[in-house]
Amino acid sequence: MIYGKVSSKPLKVFFNFLVQMTLIMLLVIPAAALDGNEILLQVDRNLQPESYEMYRKLINIEPDGSKKEYVLYTVKKGQDKMVALFLSPASEKGRATLRLGDNMWLYIPSVGKPLRITSLQSVVGGVFNNSDILRIDYSAEYNAAMIEETADKFILDCKAKTATVAYDRLTMVVDKESVVPLTIECYAASGMLIKTLYYKELKGFGDGLRRPSVMETDSPLYKGYKSVMLYAKINKKDLADEVFTLNYLPRVDELR
Amino acid sequence: MRINGGRIVCGALFFYASLILFFLPFNTMAAGEYSFDVEEFESKSFEWGGYAEIKFEHIDLNTDSAFYRLNFHQDPRSTIDRYTGALQLEYSYKKGIGAFNGVLRAEAGQDDIGWSDSADVYEANLSLKPTPFVTADIGKKVFKWGKGYAWNPVGFIDRPKDPNDPEEALEGYFGAGVDLIKSLDGSLRTVALTTVALPVWKDVNEDFGELNHVNFAAKLYMLYRDTDIDFVIFSGGSRSTRYGVDFSRNLATNFEIHGEFAYLTDLKQNYLSETGTLTKRERSAKIYLLGLRYLTESDITTIIEYYHNGAGFSESELKRFYQLVADADTQLLNTGIDILFQAAKNISNMGYVSPQAGRNYLYFKINQKDSFDILYFTPGLIAILNLDDQSYSVSPEMLYTGFTNWELRLRFTFLKGDNFTEFEEKQNENKLEFRVRYYF
Repeated sequence: MIYGKVSSKPLKVFFNFLVQMTLIMLLVIPAAALDGNEILLQVDRNLQPESYEMYRKLINIEPDGSKKEYVLYTVKKGQDKMVALFLSPASEKGRATLRLGDNMWLYIPSVGKPLRITSLQSVVGGVFNNSDILRIDYSAEYNAAMIEETADKFILDCKAKTATVAYDRLTMVVDKESVVPLTIECYAASGMLIKTLYYKELKGFGDGLRRPSVMETDSPLYKGYKSVMLYAKINKKDLADEVFTLNYLPRVDELR
Repeated sequence: MRINGGRIVCGALFFYASLILFFLPFNTMAAGEYSFDVEEFESKSFEWGGYAEIKFEHIDLNTDSAFYRLNFHQDPRSTIDRYTGALQLEYSYKKGIGAFNGVLRAEAGQDDIGWSDSADVYEANLSLKPTPFVTADIGKKVFKWGKGYAWNPVGFIDRPKDPNDPEEALEGYFGAGVDLIKSLDGSLRTVALTTVALPVWKDVNEDFGELNHVNFAAKLYMLYRDTDIDFVIFSGGSRSTRYGVDFSRNLATNFEIHGEFAYLTDLKQNYLSETGTLTKRERSAKIYLLGLRYLTESDITTIIEYYHNGAGFSESELKRFYQLVADADTQLLNTGIDILFQAAKNISNMGYVSPQAGRNYLYFKINQKDSFDILYFTPGLIAILNLDDQSYSVSPEMLYTGFTNWELRLRFTFLKGDNFTEFEEKQNENKLEFRVRYYF
């Protein structure tokens, strides 16, 4: 009877109701049926295409309000390949950082060769460290579990897949409607809160990409200091794998 | 390509460097709304930049040291004050698959001894990049091979860097090279081959080695299981054949290790034998380095490197040289005869004068970013220890980069050791240095 033709009218009405409700549920809260990892994947895709170029401005703000700004040109391919080139200020121009999975390097033109750096170092000072500047997909580094769901938010507990990830654990609050992060608390393995990231100002970047255009961060380790990242010109871009190699670092600017 | 006697040019550069430094305001921005005009950063075919710097140095000379005696016997003094201005220009012109890159540097200084100036072309090369996999270069270019921070045993075609300032730009060599890159999936993620032909002729790379040879160097790079590995080879008549390997790897998010090993064949060297006579020897030498970089939660970075220079002089060989200088100085003072003194001067240029002429060294650098809760303030300390004779140099320093495009550095260096040890026999007893640099 279940798999055959539904002949009874009350049963048919009930069946139709069930189908419609299921469809409504799927349309209204599509992510509700997703698990933490699926939401994290969706967050990644909503934040940026898999292969793209973009421009960012980093602003370090001191307690007295004075600022220091950096502008970076960034390209990314796949889940874990990324290069960021400093365009400004003049003192940093030409510096380039490369990330390949857990590996990170810094190229300084005057030094003339890439030096290995670690994710917890910071090439810009302030609250952002290298892993924030060269952030690859969250789903590449973390396993996520949903710990709470409210009417408009998912709260994910993300655990680092390996010990080489900069933050051992993230608590990510995701906006249900746009499926992008609102806040991310970053914790060390000891349980200490290292910093909190705040994603703000949802904006369309073209090609269907709508994501926060500002990310702020503060840290109990840097009381009174704040760092901000502004995003612009996020465009899909086809890139050769060889762009993400040490030998290519001196000529990243030619991709622009 | 040094232009000697360009005093007018250098004087003008010094003048303009000073103007740039003193008449440009420190650029601190007031707090306000965020703004980002991305069009301002569009790529241009011609770009240039660089820095201007002024430096003041006060040096207390070690009047009992061997190198003081050699350099100041005709002009004795106990201190030197020096003012230096420098201008470094970097430029690039890109068109299609080609790019022309250059670095120019001019420096002028005045100290108690006199005026000095220089203007150098550090780099000037044409680079062709038909695909992301291939690059061909020709011209003057800097090569910096190896993973070490203070020293690079496998830097076979590099100019030696100053361990106290390893990140400073150096002058390149004329050459032609091809760079091939291939990315792969799996444990071996990247393979890259760099080949360089480096001629040594009259007026072309003359200071590299023996004239009238074309030398070849190659580096095979691999990123294998998250470890950088390079195999390096040099062959040519200007220097002896040499082979090398290096590696670098992150062990944790805050811990990196690296190492280099080089095998140099048929090294020809003059040294003072046990009988005190200048003797020639030819031998192979192993030079290696092992280092680490560690970052604490409080942003303290420590770099430690052990360096073994198998081509260097042993402790007793260095002692014999310092004894020779002392004897020559005594003879000159007592008799006025400078034969031994001139001999010591000549011998000093046979390797004894090089910055680290000994065999075993330890390099130690520690600094803390944003120290004492002051953003962009980095106090630090650099120490170089000769492990054989226990002499050392120590350089505490303070760096401030809080004003956009400005860098202020105050450094004090002192050298210590027993008599007839390497750092005790150097010319300086200590040096105070204040440097202001403006990037544009």
